Amino acid sequence: MNVRAAIVVAAVYGYFLIFAQFSFVELLRAGGAGLMQEKVALGIMAVGGMASGFLAAWRGASPGMVRAALGLAAVSSALAPFAKAMPGVLGIALATGCALGVATVSLAAMLPAWCGVAWIGLGTGLGYACCNLPGVFTQSPGGQAWVGTGFALVGLLAVPSVTGWREHDSKKVFPIWGALAIFTALVWMDSAAFFIIQHSEDLKSGTWGDGLLWRNAGVHLALAVVAGLWLARGGARMIPALAWAILAAASLTVNIESSRHLAGWLYPAGVSLYSAALVAWPGWFSGADGKRQAGWRAAWLFAIAGWFGSANGIGMAQTLQQVPPAFVAGAGCVVIAVMVLSNLKRWRPAMAVAVVGLVAMAFPKRADFLAGDAAARGKQVYLSEGCIHCHSQYVRPGSLDEQNWGPVRDVKEVLAGQPVLIGNRRQGPDLANVGARRSEKWLKLHFIDPQALAPGSVMPSYAHLYESAKLDDLVRYLRDSGVKALPKVMETSAQWKPAQVAPASGGKELFGMHCAACHGPNGLGNGPLSLEFARKPANLVSGPFVWTSAGESLDLRIARVIKFGLVGTDMPGHEVITDAQVLALKDHVLKLRTSSSGQ
Amino acid sequence: MSQSPSAPEDEGVSTAVKHALGWLVFGNAVGLYLSVLLLVPSWQVGEWTYGRWVPVHLNVQLYGWTALPLVAWLFSMYEVGRSKSAAWAPAAVWGWSAALAMGALHWLGGETGGKIFLDWKNGALWAFVVALVMLWAVLVMAWKERAGGWTKLKRRVSLGGLVGLAMVPGVIILTASPKTYPPVDHLTGGPTGSSLLGSSLIVVGLMLLLPRVVAGSGKGRAGWGTWAYFGFCWIFFGVAEAVGGTHFDWWQNFSLLLMPPWAWLLARDWKGFSWPRDSRFWRMAMFGWWGLLVLTGYLMYFPWILDRIKFTQGLVAHSHLAMAGFTTSFCALLAVLLTGRRVGGAASVTLWHGAVVVMILTLAAMGWREGAEPSWMLLKPDWREMGLTTRSICGIVMLSVSTGWLINWKTR
Repeated sequence: MNVRAAIVVAAVYGYFLIFAQFSFVELLRAGGAGLMQEKVALGIMAVGGMASGFLAAWRGASPGMVRAALGLAAVSSALAPFAKAMPGVLGIALATGCALGVATVSLAAMLPAWCGVAWIGLGTGLGYACCNLPGVFTQSPGGQAWVGTGFALVGLLAVPSVTGWREHDSKKVFPIWGALAIFTALVWMDSAAFFIIQHSEDLKSGTWGDGLLWRNAGVHLALAVVAGLWLARGGARMIPALAWAILAAASLTVNIESSRHLAGWLYPAGVSLYSAALVAWPGWFSGADGKRQAGWRAAWLFAIAGWFGSANGIGMAQTLQQVPPAFVAGAGCVVIAVMVLSNLKRWRPAMAVAVVGLVAMAFPKRADFLAGDAAARGKQVYLSEGCIHCHSQYVRPGSLDEQNWGPVRDVKEVLAGQPVLIGNRRQGPDLANVGARRSEKWLKLHFIDPQALAPGSVMPSYAHLYESAKLDDLVRYLRDSGVKALPKVMETSAQWKPAQVAPASGGKELFGMHCAACHGPNGLGNGPLSLEFARKPANLVSGPFVWTSAGESLDLRIARVIKFGLVGTDMPGHEVITDAQVLALKDHVLKLRTSSSGQ
Repeated sequence: MSQSPSAPEDEGVSTAVKHALGWLVFGNAVGLYLSVLLLVPSWQVGEWTYGRWVPVHLNVQLYGWTALPLVAWLFSMYEVGRSKSAAWAPAAVWGWSAALAMGALHWLGGETGGKIFLDWKNGALWAFVVALVMLWAVLVMAWKERAGGWTKLKRRVSLGGLVGLAMVPGVIILTASPKTYPPVDHLTGGPTGSSLLGSSLIVVGLMLLLPRVVAGSGKGRAGWGTWAYFGFCWIFFGVAEAVGGTHFDWWQNFSLLLMPPWAWLLARDWKGFSWPRDSRFWRMAMFGWWGLLVLTGYLMYFPWILDRIKFTQGLVAHSHLAMAGFTTSFCALLAVLLTGRRVGGAASVTLWHGAVVVMILTLAAMGWREGAEPSWMLLKPDWREMGLTTRSICGIVMLSVSTGWLINWKTR
């Protein structure tokens, strides 16, 4: 019976989402209905839903009532594609509203008799997941109406026959006014965010675009199941607060392009969480002592939070074309206020959180970014971005560091840094003298697309810094901090000789990995990044070494350039590759030239 | 200061432990995300980069998972649950968590002082200071009410504790300042052996104190020799810290050589106490990790070994040995002792430690290889990604297990 109950929940949710929310509205528009006619039709649906919900509560819920409602729903959605004239459309709207009103209220009151609360999560998740399946979501409005009919019929067949009220530990998690306020705020916010996303092409493609529907279905199902299990373990009080936090983050991130894909994860998560709680509240968490009382509470909840909340959310989105941050904050205040006021012994923690939060917000942020010259501001960017967690700025005396990363700094100078930026883990190279080893242009390109210059690098893109002066400041800081090291780096380069080892295999592959982005796959100086530099990368076939006699001095010169680059130019070094790999690259570069002269 | 474990209805203690578990779950989730980012850097979300998430992960584990059980311990020691300030104890915990949450938002927003584990800055710093003051006020209120019934010794020691705790906000402000930095070994840029000895001795002190305050009956086996050795270690720490030096200097190396005996001394001391049955598994785990920590801590400070693993995954392995292995066991044991509740069943605890072992071995192997050849991480992507994938899988296990602990925390 648990599974059958979950199927009925999924069917009612699925019908509501795919037909009442989607298909019916699109059919109206396809039929040429204007905004006013659309509002009238949806208004009639809402009035029918609220009235029939109260009627169902007054009559008392029963399995037969759920079946009858689902039967009416099936007929209504089946006829919807054929209703072209306004009276027919309004009839469908009224029938759909009445069917949903009776079905939702009766179902919420009957559920405790049919299943444990954890199954509500599964049912809710299945309903959402089915609607997000690509075959359903991308179906034509007429097709979606038939899918709605399918949902209703499946639900009708799955309705259990048990009529009694199973005794269970019905807790009053929120008073009625509190539940109404919390769920209204959540539905309002959800409906507004959903409307915004659906009516903006780029938002829609970023959150419901190709390939994302399966993800959305999975997130819906997973979070609804989690919500069900959490409800069963006493999470009813926390779930609405968490759902608000997630929906708030979704509402805010959806407006920022760089974080829009995050909203695609957050929105279904937040919706699934609170939806499961919404269905479960009348039967399990309203303190109802029987199905009649649960029915009345469901009727009030779905009338105000469901119909009223969603209508206002859509109306707000239509008017303002956004979910205002002030509204998100206001909804949060409602959620927190209900949580505190409905449980007065919690006022002390609430006050402690408020005091700490106010203190945290009382201090100006990012003041440092305005201070100092470009290098000083760049150091703040270095700190702010947490570069210290992947890069050290400490050349260990007497170690291989000195050869690879430049000269040792006086420890007193290092410790005089405020703060000291030694670091403790290198995911990437040491940056103490990077300004002496890399050009400004190279650093900028690398920040924007690290993998283009260093294939296989784990460094993420910092292209967002390019939107402000931060990237220039950061590069200036890194360049300036390496100026003093220039002579020593040049000296090390001039004195270095590779170890007496055999060249590694795969010189061509190494060239493709380390050199081709600038010099091109054949060394012609025409790599994909070649146009980025003021001075084009050298043509290694006819370029820098072509007039130099072959021999040990040429080999050594090329090896040194590969290992340490050309200080003062955009040519970077390849400090971490082994001597055998340097020799393999050197051989390949020489081969490019000799194979060319042989042609 | 001996007393029986706090009653389960001590809401301050249970709130602190519950918040600690919540932060453990969150910290593990962030850690898992970080390990995945090393495999797929493009999964970065907007401006919330790897570098911004790292302080969130580190600080949540330190100030959330590790510190809050110690806060619970303070509540227990000062008998807050039996005083009129009991109603304020959960508020102090919520204030603490709010400060940490504010800190996380600041770090994600790029507001950081740039000091690992002391990134508190601007609003986050003052929010944390306020949270510390709230906690202190709760302890002072409880002391005023309860101290009259305590022995003279307990009254004086606990008052000294309050005086010490009153300095913590100032210490945090001072140490979070960019102007201060601890002594460094100039050959490695890392801490000196004596610095490591000092921080380890604080842990030793806590481990000597724990059974005497919250364990059941019994008497420890720490005789005068143990206490004398404890004093000697502190004196040696002071001298070596003043002299400074590197890991090639015998006194710095000897500093850490003073630690391995504690693995045995503490285990012997604890045997003298009777312990709740549910604490056995965590006690064993804690001593296992503790022994490994002091042994590897000494070996890793040894010249040529430290030179090879400095700045590599090897140090990450050691950090996880300390935090995911030892500290987690210590905190879980503390939670069990203070509340009488279990933290995880045998299967989940075994799974946790198994995942930690695999993660540490993987990271240590990667670090050892990387230390010999810096290009290894760059030019051996298959090996690198296999290692990082293994780490992520361990992260999934640890996240799942800790989530289970949090969810099941209600069951006694």
